[in-house]
Amino acid sequence: MRLVAAALLAVLVIGGLAVKLAQLQITDGATLAGMARANSVHRVVIEADRGIIYDRHGEPLVSNSPVWSLEVVPAELPLDARARAPELAELARITGRPEEQVATALAAGDAYSSVSLAAGLSEAEELAINERLPELQGASIVQRAVRTYVDPLVFGHVLGYVGPLNESDLKRLTPLGYRPGEVVGKVGVEAGLETLLRGRNGWADVEVDARGAIVRTIATQAPVPGDSVYLALDASLQRATVQSLAAGLVRDGKTAGASVVVDPRTGEVLALVSLPGYDTNLFTHGISQADYNRLLDDPDRPLLNRAIAGQYAPGSTFKMVTAIAALQEGKITAATMLSCPPYLNVNGWIYHNWASYSLGQMNVAKALATSCDTFFYQVAEMVGDVTLAKYARAFGFGQSKSIEMPGVMPGLVPDRIWKQLECGVPDLNSDSCRWNTGDTITFGIGQSYLLTTPLNQAVYVAALANGGQVMRPTLLDEVRDAAGHQVQSLHPEVTGTVPATAANLMAVREGMREEINRPYNMNYWFRAAGVPADGGGKTGTAQWGGSGLDLPTHAWFVFFAPYVQPEVAMSIFVERGELSEVEAAPIGVQVMKFYRDHLGAIRAA
Amino acid sequence: MSDLTTSAAWRRLDRLQLLLIGMLAALGLMTVFSAQADWGRQLLWMVLGAAAYAAASSFDYRRLRPIAPGLYAGMILLLLAVHLVGHSALGARRWLSVAGFPLEPSELSKLLLVVVLAAFLSRGEGVSWRSFGLTLVLVAPPAALILTQPDLGTTIVFVAVLFGMLFLAGARAWQLFSLVFAGAVALPLLPFLLHGYQRRRLEIFLDPTQDPLGAGYNLLQARIAVGAGGLFGQGWLHGLQGQLGFVPERATDFVFAIFAEEFGLLGSLVLLALFGLLLIRVLRAAAVAPDRFGELLAGGVFAMVLVQVVENVGMNIGLLPIAGIPLPLISYGGSATITSLAALGAVQSVALRRREIALGDGALGTITRRAQA
Repeated sequence: MRLVAAALLAVLVIGGLAVKLAQLQITDGATLAGMARANSVHRVVIEADRGIIYDRHGEPLVSNSPVWSLEVVPAELPLDARARAPELAELARITGRPEEQVATALAAGDAYSSVSLAAGLSEAEELAINERLPELQGASIVQRAVRTYVDPLVFGHVLGYVGPLNESDLKRLTPLGYRPGEVVGKVGVEAGLETLLRGRNGWADVEVDARGAIVRTIATQAPVPGDSVYLALDASLQRATVQSLAAGLVRDGKTAGASVVVDPRTGEVLALVSLPGYDTNLFTHGISQADYNRLLDDPDRPLLNRAIAGQYAPGSTFKMVTAIAALQEGKITAATMLSCPPYLNVNGWIYHNWASYSLGQMNVAKALATSCDTFFYQVAEMVGDVTLAKYARAFGFGQSKSIEMPGVMPGLVPDRIWKQLECGVPDLNSDSCRWNTGDTITFGIGQSYLLTTPLNQAVYVAALANGGQVMRPTLLDEVRDAAGHQVQSLHPEVTGTVPATAANLMAVREGMREEINRPYNMNYWFRAAGVPADGGGKTGTAQWGGSGLDLPTHAWFVFFAPYVQPEVAMSIFVERGELSEVEAAPIGVQVMKFYRDHLGAIRAA
Repeated sequence: MSDLTTSAAWRRLDRLQLLLIGMLAALGLMTVFSAQADWGRQLLWMVLGAAAYAAASSFDYRRLRPIAPGLYAGMILLLLAVHLVGHSALGARRWLSVAGFPLEPSELSKLLLVVVLAAFLSRGEGVSWRSFGLTLVLVAPPAALILTQPDLGTTIVFVAVLFGMLFLAGARAWQLFSLVFAGAVALPLLPFLLHGYQRRRLEIFLDPTQDPLGAGYNLLQARIAVGAGGLFGQGWLHGLQGQLGFVPERATDFVFAIFAEEFGLLGSLVLLALFGLLLIRVLRAAAVAPDRFGELLAGGVFAMVLVQVVENVGMNIGLLPIAGIPLPLISYGGSATITSLAALGAVQSVALRRREIALGDGALGTITRRAQA
């Protein structure tokens, strides 16, 4: 009997196992089979090569250079917490990063995607880590392409740099298929042309064993490299502009400045310089906190791209706008003669000229050439602030230029409403909130609350040069895909036309031509450089930081050449420059000389 | 085979048992090969096991009875030796090195326990409270030695064999119940006796999702493998989980998961049916045994094989907590393979020496003294 009971027990128990088996293999079979596939089949992302950036003649300004980097696949770390802790400690020691930081980096993203813990390893570091690799489960040394900029101190502010996605980038870019650890353009053209340069990542579905070793590849999708971008920039002119500006700054004991050179016919930006620059390669190879702090704490603010984001009063370089407004509105003609006294008394307030003596009677061209402030005080009062603001905006002042990089600042064209909103006093009709005649008068010579950027200035002088067309400035000449097919080309774009007759424009241009031809003054620089003073220019020494007599100044020089059918228009800015004719103008002449000697088909006047 | 003529032996041989063993061993070898273990070595173990089977079946099992005390002493000595000079692996001291081969005495002790208990319990009819108590005293020292290796799996087999043999020996319900009761009382003490990893295994069994990449990994991966097999299986050598190494201990503890992934539900049912039939044949040997010792011997082997099949398959499919128990005849391992085959050989020995009432030559089959009773 007991044997029968035992037999029954055996049958029952084995039957029970069979039932559970059927449940696992039939009912849950599909789910568990899916889990088995998920275990062993992983999608590995193959990163696309980022597009190369060239200058207009095809000179590469950046390369993707291979570097060794230490990477860890989080899923391949030891499963056991006791075995994992010493490995994390070892990884932290090797990379010199805090252990928590390593742990956070490894926990951040997809467990099967490798995380770079140290990039740009030297050969010695690579060898040292390689020796330890057998003990470091899940870690490997991988060759990766890292952005290396050819001449970062020259092109840095234009190209910008790339860096790994930070948390806010990730939130913004995950919908576009970005993954943690991927690099993205942070500033400059790298950021502005991100969508062209990035390319499309590929993938490979690989079968891996329990240790994560790849057994075979099931399917792949090749990556599509990013497009090649040909900038409007002329690398040699950019270098010459940097050299000229840097030399000028050194000569006059200044530390910061900017310059933008455009082709007035197309709006192409031929050179865009902001000094001081900084080594953008530091960022792509993983900048140290010390280096980054040094850049942040530098009083000269090397990270600020002054060419597009530095906002300063234009000073006397604005007088062409005042002149055009007055001529166009019929307040004066090209022949109208006004006095140029040492000061003007308006409602009891004294407004000084730069000269302490009278320069006599003069027309508008002469007033521009001599930069007579009192002449333009009178004209500004005639025109009025509303009309001045209208003409300023027509020349592109106060409007953000859409150029292929982020961070462009618009400058500012003030008006009555702006002043009331900005005065910061509750009573909007108090004196400090109300627009007064003094505001209008100083507006006329580019002071008051007016702000511009070196880029705005270049576009403005280009409009004077090309007959009144405000061009959209562009850094982009051509885009080619990886196969070399052109996918985008230059389309010059006119964003606005200045309301000025040809005759009025001629009168102003004549003033600018006279200014650079003044003997014993501006003309000296051209003669010294051996360049004909063929073109038009205007200097400006703009006060900033309040109102009064002995305020600090910035020096400007705006210039176009040649006089007939101009090919270049430029702005030169010297931060804290005191004498624009002496500090800013010769820099412009040097840039012009380089253009003429090496590039330009400029015909001698 | 001194006590049997060759022709009588051939006539009485349980050929079905032999066939079942052969089929299981063949499936075992295939699975061990698929699990990328050293199948050549496993084949060698099987050949040695076959020799042990032949020796055990030709040896008159009745001559084991007088030497049972000696076997008991030998078992204790072997287990003591493990504690004193054994090798450690995976945190447990289980192996002895014999002539360069690793020997796992706890495997051998399963069979020795069956022989010893069969000898002890066959001294009279039924089980008196006195012999019940003495049986427990007899089992306690080897069980303690094995539990402290630590080897939870073999301890479980010991308890099951003890329980099964007491039952077959005619133990009273109260005796068996008191054993269950003692077990229930001892259960809360278990966590204190278990090693950290054993306690962890129990916790994970109760909630496998609490650490899917850590301690629950084995359990989860084995279940995934079994489930991925589906109805027909992925085919021999084509199980993803097994071939790529996601199933841990794939040639030993989790060999069933490999089998189930590659041969599916149908294959698994065939395997279970083979085990079921084999167990029935073992019980039949007990039923036809010429004496009480033979009956208990076969019954003990029945309990030993059954508990190992149930626990091993059960833990592979997530029905029972993980304990290191091999699947007889399938799992890779010399000691386990040879012990299983020797045990089944002993059962064959019992079957060969059955008492027959020959009515014609087996025309009505075999009716034994016990069957008549």
